[in-house]
Amino acid sequence: MRAIDRRGWVYALMALLGFAALAAAGDGYALRIATLVGIYAIAAIGFQLVFGHLGLLALSQGAFFGIGAYALALATVELGVTPLPGLLIAVLVPALLGALVALPVARLESHYVALATLGLAQLALLLATNLEVLGGANGVYGVPPLTVLGVNLAEGWPMLVAVWLGVALALALGGWATAGRRGARLTTLRDAPLAAPALGLDPMGYRVGMFALAAGTAGLGGGLQALDLGVVSPAVLRFDVMVTLLAIAVVGGRGSGLGAVAAAALLVPLPELFRGFESGYLIVYGGAMLAAIVLLPRGLDGALARMVPRPAPIPPRQGTVPPRLGVALRVEGLSRRFGGVVALDGVSFTVPSGRIVGLIGANGSGKTTALNRISGLDRVGGGEMWLGKTRIDTLSPARRARLGLARGFQHPEIPADLSVFEVVVAAAPSGEAAMAALDRTGLIDRAREPAASLGPAARRGLDLARALATGPSVLLLDEPAAGLTAEERDRLSSLLRRLAREGRALLVVEHSMDFLLPLADRIICLDAGRVIAEGTADTVAADPAVRTAYLGREVVS
Amino acid sequence: MIEAIPQLLVNALALGSTYALAALGFVLVINAVGAVNFAHGELVMLGGFVAVGLAATLPETAVLPGLIVLPGVMLALAAVGLVLALIGYAPLRRAPPVSVFISTIAIGLIIQHAVTAGIGPEPRVGPPLIGTGSVELFGAVIARQQLATIAVAGLLLVAVHALLKHTRFGRRLRAAAQDPVMARAIGIPVVLTTAASFAMAGALAGAAGLMLSNQYFVAPTDGAVLMLKAYVATVIGGWGRVWGAALGAFAIAAFETVVAASVSYLVAEVLLYVGVLALLMLRPRGLFGEAEGRRA
Repeated sequence: MRAIDRRGWVYALMALLGFAALAAAGDGYALRIATLVGIYAIAAIGFQLVFGHLGLLALSQGAFFGIGAYALALATVELGVTPLPGLLIAVLVPALLGALVALPVARLESHYVALATLGLAQLALLLATNLEVLGGANGVYGVPPLTVLGVNLAEGWPMLVAVWLGVALALALGGWATAGRRGARLTTLRDAPLAAPALGLDPMGYRVGMFALAAGTAGLGGGLQALDLGVVSPAVLRFDVMVTLLAIAVVGGRGSGLGAVAAAALLVPLPELFRGFESGYLIVYGGAMLAAIVLLPRGLDGALARMVPRPAPIPPRQGTVPPRLGVALRVEGLSRRFGGVVALDGVSFTVPSGRIVGLIGANGSGKTTALNRISGLDRVGGGEMWLGKTRIDTLSPARRARLGLARGFQHPEIPADLSVFEVVVAAAPSGEAAMAALDRTGLIDRAREPAASLGPAARRGLDLARALATGPSVLLLDEPAAGLTAEERDRLSSLLRRLAREGRALLVVEHSMDFLLPLADRIICLDAGRVIAEGTADTVAADPAVRTAYLGREVVS
Repeated sequence: MIEAIPQLLVNALALGSTYALAALGFVLVINAVGAVNFAHGELVMLGGFVAVGLAATLPETAVLPGLIVLPGVMLALAAVGLVLALIGYAPLRRAPPVSVFISTIAIGLIIQHAVTAGIGPEPRVGPPLIGTGSVELFGAVIARQQLATIAVAGLLLVAVHALLKHTRFGRRLRAAAQDPVMARAIGIPVVLTTAASFAMAGALAGAAGLMLSNQYFVAPTDGAVLMLKAYVATVIGGWGRVWGAALGAFAIAAFETVVAASVSYLVAEVLLYVGVLALLMLRPRGLFGEAEGRRA
């Protein structure tokens, strides 16, 4: 599934040049700087997992760096642990704390994440400065140098190599955590936050895992720094470390581990140019961050990707999606109010397996509200919903999706960074199943194209393919024919008929009567949140209440 | 302890009214652009330093030094607010909110360290509003600065209220905050209201900075904590609710004053953060929730 990414060669060449220059310069001072670059690069690679891949501005990464440094210093100085197992402690303590922090923080969005994590970082700084157990304002002195099998790696090339092995380890871990199907799912969770739950993706597990991984990586960086300096003070918990990591991530490019290494190599040596100028380098970091976010929103890695595009993964052969068939959707007394407006008022109906039920009604009659309630995106209001014998109205949208309820959207959220295949595989049990779904919607030949390059009709097809890839028994569709040409509508009609014939239950909201009436086995008409008519297409279309409420008022297209 | 109660009350009111000014500016920007201004604390801090600088130009004998420099500080910080909007927000209008978070973090960093590099990291004392000394009130000795702070900050709060509530400009500001797309469609110049929001946020932050700088000093590193407090006030008061944020600010100040007086300032600060974390755990969208604008 992996295609060769030629950007790797560019980065490898850059690294080679960097090390060659270092060997040529060769003085201890240059080696110290290069070691420091590696230490920050490790923590920044971890930060990319949360900031880049989850899209959460978690301002606690600097604190986890500091906690790693403290964990190592206290373990070695106070408990007499040797440095190598000390490093393990420096990774595990922040990782565990990261997972603990993530449990509440993972439920938050946007700036609340920033607030909560900033508060945590501030707490860590206050505690370290004021608790005597942690060394108080003076910190912890006398951290022993790193020794492996009796060989002292305290400084120079040995320490440099040890740190850069850590960089390689962090890159490998980050790459593993964001590769393939998991990477596509992370991108879907980040860029399609409404569609993701309807595809069965639950952000909690990913967020806790990524927080722990990011915090552990930060701890490795912090532990290595403690070994490198031999001393840890509360300064390591100051916001300066955090903004350095943020600047590296922003300049390197959202989510890119290698970009972060390149940005660390550019930014970390800067303070040395500003010696005797106190923290003047942070002005430059601020300027670099600002320039990057305005001029290069995708950072160095994004600029490189424009010259050497990331190749889309090579999709596997086509397989089959095992459908869960023969399950009906039943809705009993569904209701929903928005303030004083009654959007749904005791709506009941059944969509049997193998059938297509059309849901019609004027704008504002409650059609999309009904879909939102059934799929679980909206969990406020009364009524019972059953998927076969399972009552689903208390379940999360992701749980409902995993039980076989899929949904297409009127305005689908498609992650722009993914290929067509990746968009679908994020929702599929396997690559083969994703290809089968793409085949059904006629997009299989475009599997490697960027999803952003698709036109409106193809985006709809992609959204449907993604829903089908979950292997649903019940499929909810919101205006699937809107904006399609006559030919595309015919293809969609026959596809929907086939999907029903295979045993799925389809609920289709649609305005276009000449599309829906011949397609649907039954039609339900809503008006002001109530069912005013139900029956075959002919009887509903002829119903006088329907004609006044809906058909008569609106031009039948 | 009993005789200290009027003292504590005045302390809490004085601190609360300056926090309220800071929180008000913070919310105005949130409402105008839908994004958090992470440099807001630095604007408050800068207000303190501008006040120190301007006061140094006054003759030693000047009475009411703080009041004299107040308009100058507010004007200067309004200008800084405009520059912030121009550099940190305007180019990112169509970018996701996190881009604005980052650009304002960057600008805050630049302000903080430019001040450090220019003036040094030491805390400075700002000018008192109406001179030093104290008066006796209900048997308690109360600093004149405290009373003046309550009066001036109170006046500013009332002025902002009048501006938002009773002027055409205020109505436009509120309309643009509620629905920028619709506001633009009906001809409200959203660019102007946005710029005005940033300018007002700067001016109010400047006033808050001036008033804090006398009693609590001002240091270049103060920004982060001040921003967090404005942020916490906004979360307590209900996201985007202007007067909720002001109330939240008073709540924080009362809490801080009481805990600091009875235990220690450190414990007050720790408890504040722990409280906010607990609040976010229980109510992930703030105490009163946030208007949900998203649709499937």
